[in-house]
Amino acid sequence: MNYKPDESTLIAYLYGELDAKNVEKVQEYLDRNPAVLKKLQGLSEVRSVLSHAGDQEVIAPPIFMDSTNHASRFWESGYFKTVMSIAASILFLLVAAQLIGPEISYSGGELRISFNRDKQIEKPIEQVAVPTLSSSEVQDMINTSLVKNNEQISSEWERNNRKLQASLKNSLTTNSEKIDELMKVASQASQEQVRTFVASLQQDNLQLMKDYLQLSAKDQKTYVESLLVDFSKYLQEQRKQDLVLFQTRMSSIEKNTDQFKQETEQILANIISNPEGVLKRVNNY
Amino acid sequence: MMHSDTLVSRAREGDKNAQGKLVQLWYKRIYNFSYKFFFDHDMAMEVSQKTFISMYKNMEGLQEITRFKSWLYTIAVNQCREELRKKKTRRSVSLHDLRPGEHEESYRWEASSSRSENPEKQLRQSELSDLLQQCLMELSDEQREVVIMKEYEGLKFREIAEALQISENTVKSRMYYGLDGLKKILESKNITKETIGYEL
Repeated sequence: MNYKPDESTLIAYLYGELDAKNVEKVQEYLDRNPAVLKKLQGLSEVRSVLSHAGDQEVIAPPIFMDSTNHASRFWESGYFKTVMSIAASILFLLVAAQLIGPEISYSGGELRISFNRDKQIEKPIEQVAVPTLSSSEVQDMINTSLVKNNEQISSEWERNNRKLQASLKNSLTTNSEKIDELMKVASQASQEQVRTFVASLQQDNLQLMKDYLQLSAKDQKTYVESLLVDFSKYLQEQRKQDLVLFQTRMSSIEKNTDQFKQETEQILANIISNPEGVLKRVNNY
Repeated sequence: MMHSDTLVSRAREGDKNAQGKLVQLWYKRIYNFSYKFFFDHDMAMEVSQKTFISMYKNMEGLQEITRFKSWLYTIAVNQCREELRKKKTRRSVSLHDLRPGEHEESYRWEASSSRSENPEKQLRQSELSDLLQQCLMELSDEQREVVIMKEYEGLKFREIAEALQISENTVKSRMYYGLDGLKKILESKNITKETIGYEL
């Protein structure tokens, strides 16, 4: 009567994986405990809801596997590869060191790294014991050396000055001679050039004037001819127009004269045919 | 039983045909297990392929032929956990993770064996399946793998315990609390037997 199944038993009962003996016990327990039964029914309902999520359709892809089963060799192992890579790196460094010849030295608090150079280590400067001099001796030494230096400089300056003046004189004389020669040549050349230039200019001008006059005479002739032609054409045209006008006026006068003649004839005919009527009309006026 | 012991025995001895046959027999189950675990087609494909490659490589180490099923699920579960670990450590988030299951829509339509059925019913079924899948994803990884193995893969508690290398009572306990948790999740989403029946 005190039997109380745990969750594991209840879930095994729900899925039918409980042995027959325990199934009876659980059923009796559930009969006595409707709350637990309801809980189990709720879980069963969840199961039925979950069953609506079906499977996804999928086609198994072909899987090709390498049939040869390689026995792993010791040189294919990771440890061997690691050791070999370290050894290769060291070897590479040694070869590189041999080629570029690095030098590393430490002396006197100084670290030196050099490549492909002879080892040069500065030797410490040996301090030679110098006998001490007095201040006056040192001053004398300085004075003498300064005097010597000044003399040397002044003599050097004098010598240089002389050389400079001599070279200037030489260059001036040579340059003036050259310039004179050049000027002579230039003046001679310019007189001849001017003459030829003026002669050519005169000739050019003459030719130009001739050409101009010829051209202008031709043009004027052509222009006068064309003007005369145009004037004669104008006169002819004017004459034609005057003739036409004259003919028109003559014809109109002739027409008027004919008309007047006909009217006169008609009046005369009326007078002749009816002289009384004409007289009455004259009286009425 | 999806396979005979002879087939497993032959596969263990290196028979390529037998191994190929095993892949053909079990691929759909392993894919569906992985798919329900991740709710992701690509991840499921990845896990399935890795599982069968591992199966091929370690076939000789299978001690008992009768335990092939749980042994295979052990590999699958380990692969799932490995992928899950990678996914958690990965910083980037794929677009698919934002709306899981959406891109399989057309795939499922094309691959569905019941294409002659009413399309509307088929669509509702697909939507319900996705909804239930989302509910499953709310469970913890441990509870989810037990629920999937029991509810969808039909493994016995003993086989699940062997596959997960835990005690049978632990499996049952996870199953109990997994179902209980699912009940609450379903209730919160108003998914009951009646509403499903009305919808379908």
